[in-house]
Amino acid sequence: MKIEVFAALKNHFSKEFEVNEHLETVADLRQHLSDINPSSSHLINMCRFVVAEDLVNDAHPLDADDHVIVLPPSSGG
Amino acid sequence: MEYITEEALDLTGLLSGSHHPAAGAVVLFSGDVRDNNVGRRVSHIDYESYVPLASKMMRQILEDAKARWNLTIAVAQHRIGKVQVLESAVVVITASAHRSEAYASNRYIIDRIKHEVPIWKCEYFEDGTSIWGGNCNCHAETGDPNKHIYESENG
Repeated sequence: MKIEVFAALKNHFSKEFEVNEHLETVADLRQHLSDINPSSSHLINMCRFVVAEDLVNDAHPLDADDHVIVLPPSSGG
Repeated sequence: MEYITEEALDLTGLLSGSHHPAAGAVVLFSGDVRDNNVGRRVSHIDYESYVPLASKMMRQILEDAKARWNLTIAVAQHRIGKVQVLESAVVVITASAHRSEAYASNRYIIDRIKHEVPIWKCEYFEDGTSIWGGNCNCHAETGDPNKHIYESENG
């Protein structure tokens, strides 16, 4: 699946990259991202995830062709 | 009107379009870039957003505020890209029959925008360094990434 990150996550990952492992849920993806980049773990644990332009929770099932957006905590204003 | 824009915010234009015959109070909040943060000199701020969701969320926040306070006008716009000191990064305008609703709803809207909407600032300092900053860490106290401290303050 395709992963796209924003803001401070770009200090840890490429802006867009592919994950080829079989991951069943958002929780699995969250854990996988922490595993492949432990320095991002604290930030990853605070992130929200988006599929098809909607926020999804950790139990949301993932498909191999999903485009998943990872959102760090907001800091607008 | 676009909720997220790369253009400079037209505060006077937005304000002039926010008067309403049923509104006795109009409140405009402008979040400006200031020249310092935690003792360091700020050069500028670069804002980034996930625009599709940010736009959807800002529209919903404004609809929530209009319904809750019976507003005649609720407008908000956030700028992305490079924003210089003295420039406005975000504007919120609320209009209602009386000032208490206009003030309260304006605070509600800007709080939700800052905490919930996927927009991020990267502060650039005059010494050449930069940092992604001002993250919402409410979850550390609430235990829930979707529960923010201000929500209890606003009832």
